[in-house]
Amino acid sequence: MREIKPRTFGAWLLIGIALIYATVLFILPMIAIVQGAFANGIEPLLETLSEPSVIHAFQVTFVLSLGAVLINALLGLTTAWVLVRHRFRGRKLFDALVDIPFVFSPVIAGYAMIVLFGRDGWLAPPIFPIVFALPGILLAKTFVSLPFVTREVQPVLDSLTPEPEEAAYTIGASRWTTFRRVILPEIWTALLYGIVLTFARAVGEFGAVSVVGGNIEGYTETATSFVFRAMNDRNNVGAYGVSVLLGVFSVLILIIMNLLRRRMTQGVRDVDSA
Amino acid sequence: MSIQLERVNKSYGVQPVVRDFSLEIETGELFVLLGASGSGKSTLLRMIAGLTEVDSGRILLNDQDVTHLPPQKRGTGFVFQNYSLFRHMTVAQNIGFGLSIRRTRRQVHVQRVQELLELIGLPDYGDRYPSQLSGGQQQRVALARALAYQPSVLLLDEPFGALDVKIRVQLRQNLREIHKRLGLTAILVTHDQEEAFDIADRIGIIEQGELLEVGTPSELYRRPQNLFTATFLGSTNILRARRNGKSVYVGDVSIPAPPETDHLTGQPVEVLFRPEEVELSTVRPAAQTSVIGSGTVENIAFAGPILRLSVRLASGETIQALLTPGEFRERGIEPGQEVWVSLKDYHLLPTNTAAEKTPVAVTETN
Repeated sequence: MREIKPRTFGAWLLIGIALIYATVLFILPMIAIVQGAFANGIEPLLETLSEPSVIHAFQVTFVLSLGAVLINALLGLTTAWVLVRHRFRGRKLFDALVDIPFVFSPVIAGYAMIVLFGRDGWLAPPIFPIVFALPGILLAKTFVSLPFVTREVQPVLDSLTPEPEEAAYTIGASRWTTFRRVILPEIWTALLYGIVLTFARAVGEFGAVSVVGGNIEGYTETATSFVFRAMNDRNNVGAYGVSVLLGVFSVLILIIMNLLRRRMTQGVRDVDSA
Repeated sequence: MSIQLERVNKSYGVQPVVRDFSLEIETGELFVLLGASGSGKSTLLRMIAGLTEVDSGRILLNDQDVTHLPPQKRGTGFVFQNYSLFRHMTVAQNIGFGLSIRRTRRQVHVQRVQELLELIGLPDYGDRYPSQLSGGQQQRVALARALAYQPSVLLLDEPFGALDVKIRVQLRQNLREIHKRLGLTAILVTHDQEEAFDIADRIGIIEQGELLEVGTPSELYRRPQNLFTATFLGSTNILRARRNGKSVYVGDVSIPAPPETDHLTGQPVEVLFRPEEVELSTVRPAAQTSVIGSGTVENIAFAGPILRLSVRLASGETIQALLTPGEFRERGIEPGQEVWVSLKDYHLLPTNTAAEKTPVAVTETN
């Protein structure tokens, strides 16, 4: 417990700066969006949100984001496992490269995908189209949210002591059983946390998705690209309405993240007291 | 024969950790492998369990060659020093883990777990989680978990190393009882010689990856065949001497040579004797005892139930002696006093083994 001292001028100043910063950057914008959405009452808002193109945009967004989550959960977990458990040439470079989607501009990533998977690209698809189609959006969402699961799981996996695993082996558990019943429960919370972050990122993505998907209304248009189009069309109710829904989704994600984080520190405390 | 090791070798890089290690352990035996940290004892145990691969040599469990079998197929029970419980499972789930993997029938499973909980003295702890148990309780659960599927051998790697002295002694006795009741074959690895003496049927001394000597605790303590063993187990006095005819010459005095050391005749030897085998008196003792001369009491240290005295012999060497407070009062010994030193029991080792294996340090009992 830290001692509570009377606040000095400097402390007040710091608190003030932090509060102003938070207010201007995300509290005011959220209030503005909610206010804008309900400016003409709830009727036009509900009307806009039940338009087929809006519903379709949300379907595309959430279904494909879930797809990205599934892919990144499995491959991200595999990547974390490989980085922690295996020593191979180039491992450190690979480890550093995992963060590329964080630093790469999504628009450039989307463009690179067009070059790669487009009609004349190296990996031009033989059967169904990828670029300007739903598979492209799935790819874009997967790419931009790729590092989360790996980066959440990796340190936890790295911190596991070998004894419980080795005990499981001597008891007779196969590698798979040991992973499922001994290791997975240990990394479960971190994995969930990574999945939630992945989902949030995939839902919110705009740049890569609009480049690869082409924002075709009723087909490749996602919730975020709908907001962009509505804005350009001066369809304020539509833009505000979809934004509010996405905002509510973000708040939900935030709550889940906090619950998970509490569970993670709980886990750490259990180890300490043992 | 439950466990056989045949010339097992292991190195990490160029550093050999286990060298030409051969050992046979009888069914039902509790064998303690005693060695300092870094002596290779844990590596050896891990090789028996299959957690570490051998470089060369063979390992047989119940006459079956398991050298290249994975740990899952060896049927050993392993108890680690610390934190090896599955912390997201309850105590009952931990203990039942081996049974659930073997798909034991539900009824048998539940009954067996309850038996084990009673065996380790925690009958009502089945629903708790490891974090709710003390270190000693956790370690008992780890033991039960390793016993649940009736392994052919039990391997314990410093199982009490992380616990308080009191709990350690108590758990040792628990282990001894459980071992007897179940007739297990077990190897326990430790650096604690008191622990080894307390529970071992036989002890093997391991140093720098080599098995130096194997014997019962009293054999190793009273008649060590190796200077390292002598100094590693308790404290010991060592004097240079020469064996000739039926006598051992220590400086210019002679004491009778132990008959089993006839093969050392004519050789330089080391006379080994424990501090508790030293007799001190202010008057010259009767002729038949083994007097090694006189000396000056230099220091008297109080060590609870016993007093530790250092005596500088006329030859210049200092020896340690232990006296009970009663003996001490009877003899009226004071610091600086001249005393006669005689030996109640002693033991000879040829000097050349001493040259091969110089003791690292003289370890003290208590």
